[in-house]
Formats: sequence, structure tokens, C-alpha cells
Amino acid sequence: MRPWFVAALLLLTLAGCGERTAPEDPAGFAGLGEAAGDFAQARRGNALRFPEDHAAHPDYRIEWWYLTANLADARGEPLGLQWTLFRQALTPPDERPAPTPWAADQLWMAHMAVSRGDTHRVAERFARSHSAETGGQAGTRAEPFRAWVDHWQLASRVDASDEANTDDTFAALQLTAHQDDEHGGFGYDLTLTAEGPLVAHGAAGFSQKAADGQGSMYYSQPFWRIEGEVTLDGETREVSGRGWLDREWSSQLLDERQQGWDWFSLHLEDGHRLMAFQLRGGGPDGGDYRSGTWISPAGEPTALGPDEIGLTPLASREVEGREVPTRWRLEVPRAGVELIVEAPHAERWMDTSVPYWEGEVIARDADSGQDRDRRRGVGYLEMTGY
Amino acid sequence: MLTALATLLSHYRRHPGQLAMLLLGLWVAGALWSGVQAINASARDSYSRAEALFTTGLDRLERRDGEPLTRDDYLRLRRAGLPVSPLLEGSLEGLDGTQLTVIGIDPLTLPGDNAFAAASRQGELTAFLTPPWQTRVAPDTLPSLGVNARQAHGAEPRLAEGRLPPLMPSPTLPPGTLVMDIAAAARLLDSGERITRLVSAPGMLERAPEGLVLTRAATLVSPGQLTESFHLNLTAMALLALVVGLFIVQAALGLALEQRLGMLRTLRALGVSGRGLVGLLALELALLGLVGAVAGIVSGVWLASLLLPDVAATLGSLYGAEVAVTLNLPWHYWLGGLAVTLGGLLLAGSGVLWRAARLSVLGLGQAQAWRSGFLRQLRGMALAGGGVTALGLVLWAWLSRQPPGEGLVAGFGLIAALLLASALWLPPLLALALAGLGRLVRRHPLAQWALADLQLQLPRLALAMMALLIALAANLGVSSMVGGFRLTFLDWLDQRLVADYYLRPAPEQFDTVQAWLAERPEVAELLPTRHAEATLVEIDGPDGLRAPHLPVGLYGITPGESLIPSWPLLATRAGRDAAWQAFAAGEAAFVNEQLAIDQRLEPGDRLTLTAPAGQETLTVAAVYPDYGNPRGEVLLATPRLAERFAAAPSSIGLVLAAEADEAALRDALRRRFALGGDALVDQREVKRMSVEIFERTFTITRALSALTLGVAALALLASLLAQARERRRQLAPLWALGVPRARLVTIQLAQLGGMALSVGALALPLGALLALGLVAVINVAAFGWRLPLHVFPGDLAVTLATAMGVALAAAALPATRLWRTPPRALLAEESGT
Amino acid sequence: MLEFRQVHKTYATPQGPLAVLAGVDLQLGSGESLALMGESGSGKSTLLHLAAGLDLPDAGEVRLAGHSIAALDEAGRARLRRDTLGLVFQQFHLVPSLNVSDNLRLQARLAKRETPEWSAHLSERLGLAGLERRYPEQLSGGQQQRLAIGRALAPRPALLLADEPTGNLDETTAGEVLELLLALVREAGSALLMVTHSPQVAAPLDRCLRLTHGRLGPAAGPEARRC
Repeated sequence: MRPWFVAALLLLTLAGCGERTAPEDPAGFAGLGEAAGDFAQARRGNALRFPEDHAAHPDYRIEWWYLTANLADARGEPLGLQWTLFRQALTPPDERPAPTPWAADQLWMAHMAVSRGDTHRVAERFARSHSAETGGQAGTRAEPFRAWVDHWQLASRVDASDEANTDDTFAALQLTAHQDDEHGGFGYDLTLTAEGPLVAHGAAGFSQKAADGQGSMYYSQPFWRIEGEVTLDGETREVSGRGWLDREWSSQLLDERQQGWDWFSLHLEDGHRLMAFQLRGGGPDGGDYRSGTWISPAGEPTALGPDEIGLTPLASREVEGREVPTRWRLEVPRAGVELIVEAPHAERWMDTSVPYWEGEVIARDADSGQDRDRRRGVGYLEMTGY
Repeated sequence: MLTALATLLSHYRRHPGQLAMLLLGLWVAGALWSGVQAINASARDSYSRAEALFTTGLDRLERRDGEPLTRDDYLRLRRAGLPVSPLLEGSLEGLDGTQLTVIGIDPLTLPGDNAFAAASRQGELTAFLTPPWQTRVAPDTLPSLGVNARQAHGAEPRLAEGRLPPLMPSPTLPPGTLVMDIAAAARLLDSGERITRLVSAPGMLERAPEGLVLTRAATLVSPGQLTESFHLNLTAMALLALVVGLFIVQAALGLALEQRLGMLRTLRALGVSGRGLVGLLALELALLGLVGAVAGIVSGVWLASLLLPDVAATLGSLYGAEVAVTLNLPWHYWLGGLAVTLGGLLLAGSGVLWRAARLSVLGLGQAQAWRSGFLRQLRGMALAGGGVTALGLVLWAWLSRQPPGEGLVAGFGLIAALLLASALWLPPLLALALAGLGRLVRRHPLAQWALADLQLQLPRLALAMMALLIALAANLGVSSMVGGFRLTFLDWLDQRLVADYYLRPAPEQFDTVQAWLAERPEVAELLPTRHAEATLVEIDGPDGLRAPHLPVGLYGITPGESLIPSWPLLATRAGRDAAWQAFAAGEAAFVNEQLAIDQRLEPGDRLTLTAPAGQETLTVAAVYPDYGNPRGEVLLATPRLAERFAAAPSSIGLVLAAEADEAALRDALRRRFALGGDALVDQREVKRMSVEIFERTFTITRALSALTLGVAALALLASLLAQARERRRQLAPLWALGVPRARLVTIQLAQLGGMALSVGALALPLGALLALGLVAVINVAAFGWRLPLHVFPGDLAVTLATAMGVALAAAALPATRLWRTPPRALLAEESGT
Repeated sequence: MLEFRQVHKTYATPQGPLAVLAGVDLQLGSGESLALMGESGSGKSTLLHLAAGLDLPDAGEVRLAGHSIAALDEAGRARLRRDTLGLVFQQFHLVPSLNVSDNLRLQARLAKRETPEWSAHLSERLGLAGLERRYPEQLSGGQQQRLAIGRALAPRPALLLADEPTGNLDETTAGEVLELLLALVREAGSALLMVTHSPQVAAPLDRCLRLTHGRLGPAAGPEARRC
């Protein structure tokens, strides 16, 4: 059963560009290239402030809480999961309706996915809320942290009523989400423990997305240790592994010429983390715009400029009727890494109202060939606009 | 070629009657068929629009105590992970006084695949969700908002409750419905945090959450499903009319060909090829067909617009299905109507084309060969009749092995086979009878001549007589069925409605009202009822266990001294008294006939039903008739139902004491409890409404069967008119031989009257069989109840009289003409000078 | 037997009134035979129709078997026809729904004067024996006209009216049929009024008259010798 307005939402978010973004379309993937208008703007020099920035920024057009995790069960079988909460403002701040019952200015969309082997289960939820109201069908809270839609939620495990507890409530989270489906249902109940600091990308949290300067506020928590239970097709297993949470908000994320992106988050075996993305189109000379962050095991970020990242698709697979690159060469000369990043399972299409590809990847040294033992790391790859 | 076509058509200039008859046949056939199809198409359009909406197809949750749900209830359930969506419903009065339903939805959580979805596909969600919002409304509702279609988009009509959000016409919405975002609806209806109900995709909720009642979508049978049999009925009647109309066409075409054989031969001799000739005839057919079909469709639509309000009222009252009273016809309707009429014409004309194709240039044959040709035709008819009978028998054998209530289409097939076989056998039978009678009256030359002459006319009259037979039988069958149903239904109403008043207090008042009433001297007995929903999970019968998983309604009645003696039971395990004893004791339940037939239940079977506290098992003590109810129901004693199924109170029946002051009681009730206007219903009012609904249900059936009879009469008249000229030529020598004209006219009338009477006599058993088929097969399959077969002697007499009347009315015109023809003219035709 | 006195008959035509008969006098006694000749459209058939009471004169009197035609109502005229006349038409006008035997006996039965021996004799003489079960359309043209003659003579009518009885037949058949007709008329003892345009056909009859310009006169030319 799919909500009927999938197409309507597409139209809303794609601003008329259809499922496959047409090259001449000005608004970028999922309408993220729409001009910011009367919304607040992400600018170089905006400072990150915690814990406030963990919660929603309703004055900005779009925002997300984006968790991916590379896990394994007791027998070592790998398993991936994703949980994302998207927020979209329905109106600019000065056009908000009065907060009568049901009146809404925010639209929420949540995605969850669990993958193991060739199995990939996806679910999607929608909700409305008014930014003047707390405790609606969907929403967020900064302290103690909580983000939810219906019974899907990512919330702090720190008891806020315990006044003695002065810990960062964001450092210990609980993720709960379950979905019934015809395969017996899937979902997870996991504890997340931060083993490193929050990492601000770009210029102290301002991540430029195109040559002409617009971008988003962007920070991550790439150091999650995760433990708990994952259910897939009715079968529940104990799992553990590593996770990565992205927080990003903006009013115009993409240049209007940019049609999609390829985004990598990698946990390397030596404790480093690497975030790298390229926005296709909108680069300095009309080419791709690349950016990334090299993160030390202690969490010190090094911002990587457009010229410091090499990304080359090596092989692609047809997934759901689209040609999707599933094998990449990823080079960061400055960090001395040259990796082959490959998705072991190509069937990770998110058949949601805004469709995209999101799945686990394995990174190897470029000179290691196919030798699985020479694995350099694991992570997640997201590709949009295909 | 054009010359040849003009030559062919010149025939009709000489014989405008034949042309008129051809067009009349096509017109009548097309009009009735397309009229009914227009009704069906319009109704289906309304259903699909209604089904598109949220009232059917979704499971619903309401509070057990009847109080409204609130936004908090919704949020609580969502946070518990239940996939529910809020729905706010209210009514507004349109500018023209019509009731409009406002439905507020949350498109973000509303389960998918309804047509509102389709309607919104191009719409922008933001515009729907944010001020000033949008009002989605069907174009046929615009007049109630005082807006015309051209200005509709974006208009903001002001009603008593306030200004509506800008209109957005959506043709897929049902009539009289305004759909908008729940925020806009809440503002318009000033409903605050309240919502009407929660809906959920079918089967997504395993059980009702605490304090709520879950009504499964499966129990809210969609109007399309419910009314399917009704429309099948209409279609069958329309098909009958079409066939009867095509009989006329076939007769006219045959005649026109016969009279043009000479012309065709001449054209062949002059060098028109055989294939060219057939082509020309086909072209002629197509031209005539187009004219007739277009006229038919246009009048059909007119007919439909006349009948539609009645049909809409029927469907509304019988099934609660909203049907627009204005026609709404999709493009394929027009094309389909044209195709069916032209297809029928081609079928009727294929024989003519075939004969024209085999026409020999030199053959004189036709005149000499007609006798053997007709005999061959009779043999063919008898054979075909035998074949159709065999088919009917096969269907019957198949049906008799099906469980009751199955095979609606096969049932109609059986009835069609019965009618067709009888029609096919009619001419051979009549020919045999005429030959036999002719032998008996050798000594009476005029009688002998009359019979022999009738045999001669038979090929011409056969089709009209077949049409008459079918129409008469259908008429008799339908009137027997309706009459029988009426008797049974009225009886049943009397038995079921034992209380003088029915009171429907608000749920929270129920107990107080009941206690207050119990103290009143005017009241002899109180009959409280309750209602719950459950799923029938298991049946333990003689043939073992079955697990149907069927939603059923549970009704509680009060088995007291008023109810027990009159409540009708169809089957019991150990007699009426034992059944009622077990029922009153709470050990046993009754099931309605629909459920019994559907699930093959018999008294003694044990039913396991879902209940709030697990499952409850009940023994079926009896089956009761429940006419007019589309659903399966289980009946229990009210206290038992309340206790075991936590059933909500529904109504209280008031049996008044003799000489009670009704008005005083009514006033006291109203004053004491501030009851709404419709909370107290007079039993007579219920009966009146039920009877009215009943009458409406069959208005259209009766209208159609009468129209079919009219068509048959036209067929006969047309046949007689078409052969009138030839008849006079045959009568002239007799007149010259010394038979007075008055005698000739009398003989003519006697001939036709006699034949029609025989046809009428044959129609009697056929009509009775038809009625049997309707009550024993069609009704059971369509509605789920069986009726006793009633044959009314009055109906039989009416059928015979109708047959005679139709024949004499049809014969009157040619006979008057014969009477008025001056002898000189008769002679002129006769001698050709 | 049959008498015309100053009979006038006029028809309205698109070209104005047409006087078909303008004062016709005619006497025909029992057993007598008369040939009536004339051009096409000269009014021969009209005269025959008046003789049969199928039509009424505008002026003058037609008497048949002692009855004035105009004095009888339609039913009376029909009865008179039934009881006294036999009619043979150019187009044979058999009843297609009856077989040969029933066709032959039809008028005799209608007049309630059927004598089986005479009918059988007629059938034999007319060469219809063995064809009794057939229907008219299954006979040849000559057979059909013989059957029509038989039907007219079966009740032994006092007067046989024949309108071009051989007009639709070929020469040989016509000769045979005519011979048979005259022989049987004599056997039946009927008077005969025959309309024809053929002198050969008219020749064997007792008298011959010609209708010209609405009046009867003796035939002129070669056929006059017998008239």
C-alpha cells in the first residue's frame, strides 16, 4: 500500500520535473535547487549552536536527520540500515497559518530501510505539524533530544528528569522503528553510543554546494557504536556495528543546474572517517562540484576542496530500470587514500515517493584487486537523480 | 453503383411503410437498450465515484460509547503505531437547499488507491494543505454552490457557515460532496479538536483498540457490489427489448428483400456483380442502421433521464447508494450503444445478405420454393430450439449442483435459454397446430381457408409472434415475481414490526430512557435492541469445520410476548417453541436467510465469533427471513449480546398498552429527554417507508416489462402493415368468389386473435416457469433470499387478455383499411387494370 | 340470364372524366355463349366487373339471374355471385394456401353445392387427377388456368364470366384450354361471357360483340362472319 499522493508529493518536491529529472530542468533534484525566497538562508559564518541545532529549523525550507549503519549479526553476516527524517516547510515563516487544530506549516517524511544480502525492505511515512506546536504526529526536540514520526523515533537515552545528569543528551540515543508488511514486518530497536565528537563540515558547519556559493548547514556524528536488535521479514537478530548520523538544513541546497549527487560516508579500518560527495553539474566550469571531509580517529576534520577529491564511476548496474554506478574510484591525494568503493548488492533502490539509491558499500585499496581480506572499510553510498 | 443504390432505395419510396417499420424496429430496440445502459452507466459512474471516497473500502474506528473522537485519540493511536487517518464529516446546506457533505481528510495519512488520489495527482499538495486551502467538488455539485462551471475554478462561494476554500472541480468525486483538508473542514464546521472517525486500510488493524468499535470495510459492502444484481436485472430486461426490436427489423428486412427479388435479378442481369449487390445491400443496411441507431440512442438518453430519478431513489433507499439524478455518460457509452444497435442490425440482416448473395440470376424459384423453404426453416427452428433446450438443461443441471445463491449469470442464462427455446419452437408448433386443425375443418370451406391462409401468413408473422410470446412471458414472470414478493414482504413487515414506536436515544441516555419508560403506564412492553460487529471465524456443521472469516452484524432483540408469536422463522431444529426457548435462554442464536444461504448454515450448526473477550460459540437454533438486507446477520437475545459482545445500544421498541395515550407519551418523552426530531419513529411510518422503497425497487422493472410488451405489439402491427397490400391481393379473389367483405374482416380478426390467444396460452406456463426461475434462482443469487412462488390467476387472465388485445389492436388498422377499401380499388389491385 | 340496359360508367382520371361505358345494352340467355372483343382499355373488364356485381353502374341497370345488381347490398351481391357465377381471370388467382383439390372445390363448398362426382369428373377432364395434393405454385401455367376453370365450374354456375382466360398461355396450351373450357361449359349447362381480344378465341362462341367508344356493336372485319 502506497500513499496516494506519492505523485503529488513528487510534483511538490520536484517542482514539476517528473521522476527522472530532465536536464533542462532548473530546480535540481527533488526541488532542492529552488530559490530560497523568503526562507532563512544558510550562509558562511553562521555558527552551529548545540543542543538547539539538533532540533528542527522551521525557518529553513528543508532539513534532515539521516542515520545509516553498517552492522553484523552474531555470525558476522553484514546488515545495513537507514533511518531518515525529512522536514519540509510548507510556507515561508511570515505566511504561516494560525495554529488552529490540524493547520500545518511543516511536512514530514520519514524513510526506513533494512538490507541484508539481496533483501532490501523500505518503508515511508508522512505527517504534518505546526511549528508553534509540540507533540504532534511528527517533530523534534533539542533537549533531551527526540525526533519522531508516529512510533518511529530517534531519542535520547539520557533521562532528562535526572538533574544530576549533565551529559550531552545527544550522545546516547535509542532508535526504534517498526513496519508491518506482507513479508512479516521489519524494524529495529537499537542503542547508539557516540564514541567521538560531532564533526562540522565545510567552513565551521557551512557546506558549500556549488561554485557560486550557496549551500547548507551540515554536521555529522560519524562515531556511533550501535547495538541492539534488527527484525527482517519477521526474524529478529542481535546485531552490532557502526553508524553515521548526518544533520543538514538549508533553504537552497543545490545550484539550480545541479541534478543530483553521489555521497559517500566511510568508516575506515584505521579509525578514520571519510565523507565525500559530488554534485553533478554546477561546478566551477559547469562540471561536477566536489566536497568532503577527512576525519581523524579523534574527530578532527579536514575540509576537502573541489580539487582535492577524485571520483570516477567504474561500473554500473541496472537497478529498477535505471543505470546506477555501483563501483567507484575514490581518491583523496591529500590523505593518501585511493580506494575502490563498491556496493556488494546493487538492489538498494529506495522506491519511495522521492526515489533514490542508498546502500552499504565496501572500500578497498585501489591496488588490492578483488581481495576481500584487504578491506579498508565499510560505509554508505547515496546516489540521487538517476 | 450509385444508380444501383438509388434503384435499391427506390423500393422504400414505393413502400414507405416498410422503411418506417425498419426504422421503428431499430429505433425502439436502440432506445430501450441505450436507455437502460445510460442508467447503468450513470449509476456506475456514481458508484465508482463513491467508492473512490472514504466511506467504503476502508475500515472505520468509532468510539464504543458513541462520543466523538478527538485529535488526541488520533495522535495516541498513531504513536502506538496504528495506521489510522482522521476523517471529519459534516453537512452544509447548499444555496439551493440541498444537503452537502463536507469531508475533511488528512492526505498525508489517508490510505491510498482511492480515486481522490487520482483526482489529486496533478494537484499541488501544498495548495491543498495550506491556506486558503482547496475545496474539491464534482462539477455536477457546482449548481448547489451557485457557481457555474466556467467560473468554478478558484471561486469561493459563501454558504451559511462561511466562505468555502477556493473550488477545484474534480469529476471523480461523488455528487453532493465537498472534500478539503481536515484543517479547512475543521474551521468551516467549527469542530475544534473533534473528528468523526478514524479510517484505516482494510485489514491493517487486527482488532479494535480499547474503547473503540472497528467496522471492517468488508461489512460496508460497496454500492457497486450491492447493486450489481439490480443492474444485471436491468440489463437483462434491456437485452430482451433489444431482441424484440431486432425481430421487427428482421421481419422488415426479409419483406423488403422478398419484394425486391425481381429488382435484384434485373440488376444482376444488367451487369451488377453479385458481390457488388451484397455490398450495396450492406451499405443500405448501414445507412438505415445509422439513422435508426442514432435516433434510438437519442431517445434512449431521453428515456433514461425520465427513469433515472426513480432509479436513483430506489438505489438510494434500498442500498444507500448515492446516484446522481442527472445523466453522466462517458464517451464509450455512446460508442457502445451505436455498436450494439448496429451489431444487432447486422445480425438481423445477415440472413438477408446471405440470401441475396446466393440469388441466381435466372431463378424463378422463389415463388415456387417458399413452401419447402419455410418447411426447412421450421425444421431448423425446431432443431435450434432443441439445441437451446439442451443448453438450458445443462445450465440447470449445473445450477442444481451449485450451492444456493451461486450463479447469477448462469441463472439469467437459464432463463434466456428457456425464453429462446420457447420462441424457436413457437412457429413449428403453430404450423403443426394449423395443419392439424385444417384437417379437422375440411367441411367448412371458410374455416379451412382461414387456417390454410394463416399457415401461409406464418412465415411473416412468426417473428412477431415469437416477440409477443417472449414479451408476454416476461411480463407474466415479472409480475408474478413482484406480486409474490410484495405479498411476502408486506406479511413479513407486519410480523417484524411489532412495536408501535421505535425510539433511538443517544447512547449515553439509553439506560435512563429505558428505565423511565419501564415505569410508564402507557408502555406494555419494551423491546430494546443492540448492535455489534463481529467476525465469523468458524462454523461447526455436519460436514465438519469451516473457517470463513466473514464479518457479520450482530443484533440483539428482546424475545418477549409481543415478539415471539409474530417473528417469522424459516427453519428450526426442533420446532418454533424450542428455538425460542433456547434463544431466550441465551444459548442459541438465529441467523438470517442470507447468511444461511451464503454459508450453507443449518439449525444445529455451531458458530464461533470474535468477541471483545476472546471468542464466543453459539448454536444456530433457527433461520429467519430478512428481506431487503444485503448483509449476513446473527440474532441474539439483547441482554446476552450486551454481556458477551459488549454491544452498543441501538433502539428501543415500545409496545403500547391498549388505549394508551400516544400523544401524551410522545410529549413526555420529548420534554424529559430533549430527543431529536428523528429519535422517535412511528411504526406506521417505518412501514410506509419500507413499502415505498419496495414499490420503487420494482417500478423500473415493471416499466421495462411493459415497454417490452409495447415493442412486441409494435412488431406485430408492423408485420401486419407490411403484408397488408399482399393480404388484400389474396383476399380479393375470395371476395370475387362471393365472400362478403364484413366476413373477410371478421375472419382476419379471428385468425390473428386465435393465434395470439394460442401464443398467450403458451406464455402462461412459460411465464410461470420464468417466475420460478426468478424467485428460486435469480433472487437467491442476487439478494440472498428465496420467495415462495405465487401465481396469480388474475395475472394469467390479464396475460391472455393482453395477448388478444395486442393482436386485435395491431390487426385493427389493417382490418379497418380493408373495410374502408372501395371494392373497385380492391379489384384494381386484384386485376391490375 | 344477364341483361345490361343503357349502362353508363365513367372514371375520374388525371386527364379528366373518362366515359368507359356510354349506354351499353346486352342480353345473354341461359346456356348461351358470347365473346366480347375490344381494344386494350376499351372497357371490357369494366363490363365484366359490372356483370359480376363487383362494381356498380353510374346509370342504367344490370340484371343478373333476375336480380337488379344495384338493388342488392354488398352482401347480397356477394351471395348472388357465390350462387350464380363462376369467374375465370387472366391471372389465375388461385388460393395459394389451399392445395389443388381444395382450390377446385372451394367455390362449390362456399356455395354449399358441391357434388363429389362432378368435382371428380372435372378433375379428370382437366387433367388434374393425381395432382390433388399439390399446391398452386407447384403447377404449370396451363395446369393453373385449368384449375381456375375447374374451380369456377365446380358449383355448376348459371353463368361463367371469363376474362382473357388464355391470355397468359402459349398458343398450343391456349387452344387446349379453350377447347376444354367450352366443352365443360356445355357439360355444366352454364352460359358464358368471355372477354378476349383474339378472334381465334372468339370464333367458337355463339355470338361475338365488339366494344368501341363505350358502345357495343357487331364485330367488324374478319371475325364478323360469325356475329
